[in-house]
Amino acid sequence: MRIIKKIHRTFKLHRIFIKQDLKRLMEYKVDFLTGAVGMLLAQAINLFFLSVIFSQIPSLNGYTFEQIIFIYGFALLPKAIDHLFFDNLWSIGYFIIRKGDFDKYLTRPVSTLFAVTVEKFQVDAFGELIVGITFLCVSIPQIDISINFINILLFIIAVLFSTFIYTGIKLITSSIAFWTKRSGHVMYMFYMVNEFAKYPTTIYNKVVASIITYIIPFAFTAFFPASYFLVGGNPLFNIGGTIVMAAALMALGIFVWNKGVSAYESAGS
Amino acid sequence: MIYVEKLRKEFKKAIKEPGLKGSLKSFIKPKNEIITAVDDITFHVPKGEILGFIGPNGAGKSTVIKMLTGILTPTSGKCEINGQIPYKNRKNYVKEIGVVFGQRTQLWWDLALRETYTVLKEIYEVDDEQYKKRMSFLNEVLDLESFITSPVRTLSLGQRMRADIAASLLHSPKVLFLDEPTIGLDVVVKDNIRNAIKQINENEQTTVILTTHDLQDVENLCDRIVMIDKGKKVFDGAIDSLKERYGQSRELKFIPVNFDIAANLDYEREFNLSDNDIFVENDGHSISVKFNSDKVSVEKMLSYTLSVTHVKDINVGDADIEEIIKDIYKSGVDIGG
Amino acid sequence: MGKILRIYKPFTHAGFLLAAQYRINFVFFVLGDILRCFITFFLWHAVFTSGGATTFMGFSETDMTVYIFISFLTGAVAYSDGSYIVGEEIRDGNIAMRMIKPIRFETALMFQELGERTISAVMIFIPLAAGVEIYKFVVTGTLGFNIWFFLLYLVSLVLSYLINFYFNICYGYSAFVLKNLWGSNLLKECIVSFLSGAIVPLAFMPAGLGFVLNLLPFASLTYIPVMIYLGMYDVPTILMSFGLQIFWLVFFIFLQRIIWSACVRRMSVQGG
Repeated sequence: MRIIKKIHRTFKLHRIFIKQDLKRLMEYKVDFLTGAVGMLLAQAINLFFLSVIFSQIPSLNGYTFEQIIFIYGFALLPKAIDHLFFDNLWSIGYFIIRKGDFDKYLTRPVSTLFAVTVEKFQVDAFGELIVGITFLCVSIPQIDISINFINILLFIIAVLFSTFIYTGIKLITSSIAFWTKRSGHVMYMFYMVNEFAKYPTTIYNKVVASIITYIIPFAFTAFFPASYFLVGGNPLFNIGGTIVMAAALMALGIFVWNKGVSAYESAGS
Repeated sequence: MIYVEKLRKEFKKAIKEPGLKGSLKSFIKPKNEIITAVDDITFHVPKGEILGFIGPNGAGKSTVIKMLTGILTPTSGKCEINGQIPYKNRKNYVKEIGVVFGQRTQLWWDLALRETYTVLKEIYEVDDEQYKKRMSFLNEVLDLESFITSPVRTLSLGQRMRADIAASLLHSPKVLFLDEPTIGLDVVVKDNIRNAIKQINENEQTTVILTTHDLQDVENLCDRIVMIDKGKKVFDGAIDSLKERYGQSRELKFIPVNFDIAANLDYEREFNLSDNDIFVENDGHSISVKFNSDKVSVEKMLSYTLSVTHVKDINVGDADIEEIIKDIYKSGVDIGG
Repeated sequence: MGKILRIYKPFTHAGFLLAAQYRINFVFFVLGDILRCFITFFLWHAVFTSGGATTFMGFSETDMTVYIFISFLTGAVAYSDGSYIVGEEIRDGNIAMRMIKPIRFETALMFQELGERTISAVMIFIPLAAGVEIYKFVVTGTLGFNIWFFLLYLVSLVLSYLINFYFNICYGYSAFVLKNLWGSNLLKECIVSFLSGAIVPLAFMPAGLGFVLNLLPFASLTYIPVMIYLGMYDVPTILMSFGLQIFWLVFFIFLQRIIWSACVRRMSVQGG
């Protein structure tokens, strides 16, 4: 009963803020369109870039153009979902703590992490979401993927946990701000590693491949789970790995966050 | 209700040396100095009291409030409110308190005010019926009706403060913390806010702790004041007792018809007073005499003055709390309580 | 000239201090961006391995690697914040204050950026350029460094920065229409990086499109300097490219002046 009430409360709060952000979107249509067109254009240019490459070679490290598009589209989904729901973590890294605005979250009878993240629903993420889904829809009919119940279930699980890999990494790096007042640039550096996830990990050398597999494991947000669907592979590693990495990063992230909250020294004296 | 025992907060502050070499040095081997913001403060507040927390800028008022509200963890010492320790089990504790920081809003900038309260209703798990009752009460006291549908960012400072206070009271807290609730407001709005605070305190026996720089707030609202300076408590007691203790000082102000004749006045010799008990100031327009009414009565002062000089105007002022506090800030002596 | 320097020197100094103050942040940002270069590098490496051929549309793998890093370097050094700064000033209305100051807005801005550019040049240019040259030496086994091409590249790089600076100021005025600075700058970055050859060398474009893009001002920002660095242009082409760069520079300086005086007129009519 308590749990149901809690879930109900969570959804209600999300709904209020989502409604607000959508309202704002309607109010500033031109602004939203500028951002969305920019986002779409960036992806279109990348697509053009890939097509230039594939105009000269039949496959890249054994992957066809369509397969690359599938991995690319897959990579965009968890990125977009994290962007949609956990964007306020960037504000933690950049200014909430520096300006002493974290105080108010501490006077609320809910977890600080929930209070911070529920506040912002980042509509910009729809750009990535739409492009990601389009890429998947275009590439799936061209490649040999069996669409069945288990695969759909595994796909949803993979996307969900991949999202938590993003969130976990943002959580750990944004928490640094509790000690240093500001960690946005550190966040940015780690976050940028996600760009490696768009292509097959096999194109990188050993050092890079092990970094993105074991240390900043963005490879588990796209290539590993996607390649399970593309070429089979061991689900225990490809999907299970994503789950394990997501759980580990989230656990570490929440631990560091809580440590940070108790070390938090409000601005001024 | 509220017990604070030897509460202490120290901050580490990095010492920065100037120049590139200095910053490199402090990057590799940081040097810290320890700053004591709150230095072993002890006080108690019974239920239903309004306590004024005053002191000059940087005295440590906000730090104390932040420890009492669970935002900061004390370095040492104890504080217990409603039988709970703020920084332990924070989530449970904050359900019973309301907090307003005058300098920054806790409302959601982009949400309409009504939506803000809906969010708070969910966060504090106030049930529907209780919420309705509460809103109509708060509306009555704080008069929110006219701007409740506007986004918070469009409210005036006075409206925002009323909205913020209402937000802190939505869940019927037992203790209300107000950090400079009247800062930057005009006289009329200040008065409204003071009345609202008073009303809530009287209706619901809410304990209120407020910090302020506005001594009018203190005189109108507070049963008791705690004054701190440089992290240490320098006074704790009723306002009347502060006045009694330091407020024997009265001020006799007059405009003599002839300043040369008035120059013959010699209070020190007439009443045999020491420098501490009398202070005369002549600015060319009027003469002001501050004196200790314990040593010499107002009546004697008046009759002596009038016996020496004719005056165009004369009046005797009461002890001014602002003056007293200024004196205490300046001298900074430990006078405990 | 001496007088100009005296008036604007404080701006350079301020920019210098600003950059120095944020140098740690700056390093992290650059590191984040360099990651992208490495991704592109590995991608091309895989292309050359998978394709089996030693050249891709006339570029060897070494050429391509140098192209990736030098085009990043060129973009980073020739970077300008102008459009953001102008956009902010328009959005918060401070642009009106610029009109009452006895100095040129854009010149003050340039001198401020000069300070920042110096820092970024020292911090990224030297290590990255040295890295590229060492890479070339390791891969090809010969010292391919040509001081003349390098000096011509530097000239082209300075022109690239100046064009980019004035182009950004011009673009910044779009804030009168597009209030979402983040979005409109993203849009600009996308278009510029594509048209300037920062993503794909213009040589890889379809012939007709490639020809047009070569003439547009964007080629002057990245493609021309990098091709000079690579030694892919002969002397007449280099001279022609310089001519093109100078043409675009003059073009944007004048465009900027025209827009500015239109703004001044508009504001003096509408009162800000």
